[in-house]
Amino acid sequence: MAKYIIRRLLSLIPTMFIIITLSFFLIRVAPGGPFSGEKGLPEQVQQNLLKKYHMDEPLFRQYLRYFGDVLIGNFGPSLRYKESSVNELIAQGFPNSIILGTVALALATFAGICVGILSALKQNRWQDYSAMSLAVIGISVPLFVIGPVLQLVFAMNLKWLPVSGWIFSRAGLKTLILPALTLAFPYFAYIARLSRASILEVLRSDYVRTARSKGLSEGIVIRRHVLKGALLPIVSYLGPAFAGIITGSIVVESIFFIPGIGKIFVQSALNRDYPLIMGEVIVYSLFLVTMNFLVDVLYGFLDPRIAYK
Amino acid sequence: MKKALFLFLALAAVVSLGAQDFIMSNGAEPTLDPTLMTDVASTNVGIGLFEGLMAYDPKTNLGTPGVAESYKVSPDGLKVTFILRKTATWSDGTRVTAKDFVYAMKRILDPATGAEYAYMPAMVIKGAQEFNEGKGGFEDVGIKAINDTTVEYSLTGAAPYFADMTAHSAFWPVPQSAVEKYGTDWTKPGNILTNGPYLLKEWKPQEYVLLEKNAKYWDQKNVKIKSIKIYASDNDSTNYNMYKNGEVDWMHGIALSKIDEIKLRKDYQTSAQVGTYYYCFNVTRKPVDDVRVRKALAAAIDKKTLVDKVTKGGQIPTDSWVPPMAGYVPQKGIGFNPEEAKKLLAAAGYPGGKDFPTLTIVYNTNEGHKAIAEYIQQQWKNNLGIDVTLQNMEFKTFLDLRGKAHDFTIARHGWIGDYLDPNTMLDLFMTGSGNNDGLYADPEYDKLIENARLAKGAARMKILQQADAMYLTRDQGMIPIYHYANQDLIDTTKWGGWYATPLGFHSFKYMFKK
Amino acid sequence: MSLERNQVINEFNQQVKPVSLWADAWKRLRRNKMALIGLWIVAVFAVLTLMAPMLPIYSNTEQEMKHINLPPSFKNAGQVALETLQRKANQINAMIANEGRDDLKPELEKVMAEYELIKAEINVNPVHKRVYLMGTDYLGRDMLSRTIYGGRISMLIGFIGTITAVFIGIIIGAIAGYIGGRLDDFLMRFVDIMYGLPYMLVVIILMAMFRKEGQSSVIILFVAIAMVSWLTIARVVRGQIISLKNAEFVEAARSMGASSARIIFRHLLPNTLGVIIVFSTLSLPGFIMSESFLSFLGLGVSAPDASWGTLVSEGVQSMELFPWRLLVPACVMTIFLFAMNFLGDGLRDALDPQSKNRA
Repeated sequence: MAKYIIRRLLSLIPTMFIIITLSFFLIRVAPGGPFSGEKGLPEQVQQNLLKKYHMDEPLFRQYLRYFGDVLIGNFGPSLRYKESSVNELIAQGFPNSIILGTVALALATFAGICVGILSALKQNRWQDYSAMSLAVIGISVPLFVIGPVLQLVFAMNLKWLPVSGWIFSRAGLKTLILPALTLAFPYFAYIARLSRASILEVLRSDYVRTARSKGLSEGIVIRRHVLKGALLPIVSYLGPAFAGIITGSIVVESIFFIPGIGKIFVQSALNRDYPLIMGEVIVYSLFLVTMNFLVDVLYGFLDPRIAYK
Repeated sequence: MKKALFLFLALAAVVSLGAQDFIMSNGAEPTLDPTLMTDVASTNVGIGLFEGLMAYDPKTNLGTPGVAESYKVSPDGLKVTFILRKTATWSDGTRVTAKDFVYAMKRILDPATGAEYAYMPAMVIKGAQEFNEGKGGFEDVGIKAINDTTVEYSLTGAAPYFADMTAHSAFWPVPQSAVEKYGTDWTKPGNILTNGPYLLKEWKPQEYVLLEKNAKYWDQKNVKIKSIKIYASDNDSTNYNMYKNGEVDWMHGIALSKIDEIKLRKDYQTSAQVGTYYYCFNVTRKPVDDVRVRKALAAAIDKKTLVDKVTKGGQIPTDSWVPPMAGYVPQKGIGFNPEEAKKLLAAAGYPGGKDFPTLTIVYNTNEGHKAIAEYIQQQWKNNLGIDVTLQNMEFKTFLDLRGKAHDFTIARHGWIGDYLDPNTMLDLFMTGSGNNDGLYADPEYDKLIENARLAKGAARMKILQQADAMYLTRDQGMIPIYHYANQDLIDTTKWGGWYATPLGFHSFKYMFKK
Repeated sequence: MSLERNQVINEFNQQVKPVSLWADAWKRLRRNKMALIGLWIVAVFAVLTLMAPMLPIYSNTEQEMKHINLPPSFKNAGQVALETLQRKANQINAMIANEGRDDLKPELEKVMAEYELIKAEINVNPVHKRVYLMGTDYLGRDMLSRTIYGGRISMLIGFIGTITAVFIGIIIGAIAGYIGGRLDDFLMRFVDIMYGLPYMLVVIILMAMFRKEGQSSVIILFVAIAMVSWLTIARVVRGQIISLKNAEFVEAARSMGASSARIIFRHLLPNTLGVIIVFSTLSLPGFIMSESFLSFLGLGVSAPDASWGTLVSEGVQSMELFPWRLLVPACVMTIFLFAMNFLGDGLRDALDPQSKNRA
């Protein structure tokens, strides 16, 4: 196991190297540059800008320069938000996205697994059908519909909650409710469906049958045997989901006006803000590969049948 | 979970904010460094923080005395001298002197700064272009601090609009001491020095900017609103919801999808803008290289219905390129006339649209551009019997295709003037101009525009009109569709001193609660 | 046997024909009422959208400027337009009377002028005889027709996206999970890299490289979706295979000399089928909606055609004023997704290797 963990940790290095290298060159291939706008800039102004950001140098040289900077933790200046460095922008946005993502995913996982268990145990009864219908709605209705609808109902009509804002304002934690609910909904649906399916699978497996035949109570069977076995697909889903929920909250961050990194991620790509895109790609993929790594390690603990060599 | 909750609550308690008198929804994250400002959102905030030699008049947006109490133009119009008021100070109490303007000019023109709006002073000030290109030294740039209270500009040609121009952010002073001390961080709260009616109290990037009245401002007794919060959210629906809920007092910019509701509100403000929305032809491409085809396409669009039923936001349907301006008669291209359009198309060799190649209209993804393109597609089908396809793309790809590769036949385009003069529109179509995406080229046109620079008054306007007529009436170089309108939501029965203006600039300084 | 099983996985979205060995599964599916309803709905949707040009509906692209934003109704369009204008005039009149809004008088005149215009031609102009069952959009186009046509691209994306995702995901996931070791490492790091790349820019590059003026970009759209859709499924399948590959029944098969391919397809995959099918039905809505995101970048159908995704995203903008513009496409899409979901569940149960023994 220890050997496996070390090997996996080491493999993060080439993975990140490839992601950084590929992304660096990919974003330069994309049409359009950071300094184009509805009003075109005169030639000399463009030249000055390129020179200022060393973008007049050969691409490979720029790459080496960038890579060197990244190694010492300097992601460079943002080309769009000219008074901020990429480090600052990420440091400001990342915690907010993490807060929102964690709350939403915790909500989704807890509710999802509960509903999944209920559905599986009451398979093909009304509880099952209504729970699964809710799940289908959760997956089918996109965030950009759920968000505005919740906003309309709870903020505009009922006036229970603020339209937008973030927790560090006077409205405080109230501002977290709508965005977290919106963001959690599809993940809840996914997890509920997934856990229902895998619980059904496990319920039929031999070891659960054995456990039952030993006369263990239903509660113990579910807690000790069913849940543990059924968690696997959920865990392997949660890894990328947690990474995805951070940048995937673009829509929610925009609708509820939350200063996270999801919104900047899309904006930076659309603005061709090269250093900012790279910074976000690095942070995001580092987060993602770490999550996937943790998931793989968790596997070993959750499932005795897995033996890593 | 409980711990986390507690942490949130503690943080929320620590960050308590004072009440704001006035809240604005700005539509984008601003830049606070005048040298680097490029968009309206930044200017909106900047007008509160800084003040140029001239300031924008709250009604006309022409120049009104700011840091300068008066100015003088030499008889040949090539030298403009400003006399600064002695009471103008930075927020740390030091005087705003002529040197600050020279420093700011040097900074914006310096190639190493990479300022986008450097082109504006470069256009009018002698030697500025050369310095910005790295070909000349700053000592040759036509700006001079004669003494602490006198600054003199030498221009490339007589530019009657120059004094008004100095209200623009590209001409604002910059505090040398702060810039040199803090570098790029000089605009952060605590570091920044401002000379305008407001101070920067707080700046939460991607969230809001908080301004507070500047007690050291020379005209501070006339500044009524004590503090202003400016949100950066770019989500139109959210902004509108906040406005409706009373969380915002002034909202700039309105989404097309809400216009039917907003139009009936009493706090909905529109004003004509110096700018034109148009369809750009690549005049080097078949079949739109034929002026008859261009005219046929132009004559086949009912722009009035377009504005009434599709865009609905107070835009003014037009056949002209230059918006109405004092002393100038905008020339007209061909107007809506389906019969004439059919004839022109037949004359060009496509009777009834027969054999007309399938053209593509390209536009950048946006609900408004899309609706207009769909409408025009149908108009051309109905009135000319031709089919065109539509292609949308993401903005930067679109700009690359339109402005760099010129790989289009018809593209959506728009232009908003920088100052109140026909030149801001007509310079665009000079051969090789950076924004001449349709590749129109006519040496005669270029010559007229150049000639106009040497002329003055009514004679100058006449030459410009000649050029205008050449490009539009004779050649129909593009299809003007409408003149833009500023759209804002603000209850003017509650807030005074806010007017619908042609350039869309509004000074917080003049605003007050009724 | 392994082959047939494979085929059915691929074709699970289409009608499962009772081919010899699968007669059994089909029989079980037929007994599942919800699945059958789902199957019927999907079939009806497919037929309707395919036959759209032959249906007695109005054009999905033709605009009628006098019929902008009309609500759903069984009445003639002219009548509905008059009522809508009347309502608007009343609203403005009330504002003028109650709030002293004299500034609205020109607006009122405009509304009344249009009212008179339509009233004058209501019996002459045949367009006013139309009936918009589902209302109209911002350019006076029939929402019913737009929704039906919109289903074409959306359903196609849903099917193709799911099939490619499942197909690639299963193969990569199964190989990585079963063989393990370096290959597993390599494939999973590849998946990580694919996750990490800035997807939006990759799509923009694809689009810039392969788009041609005036040509539809549907193929690029499929490539763009297929490129990333398989990643999650691959990881999930891999996880399942890893946990199963040391099970007794696999050991038994191995000791009997079964080949790796046989073990994967015959023994391991059938046991993960439940999760795979659930994942597929779960991904389907994602693909349909990702089309609306990609159409932002210029991929997919171009205006004036629309997809469910674009209709819904347009509709949500004006849901307070014109709710039908959101509700019509959103409900139709949700019904379709419900049907697919129940069909997926039914298939899962029908193909369950354990329930087979019990039936």
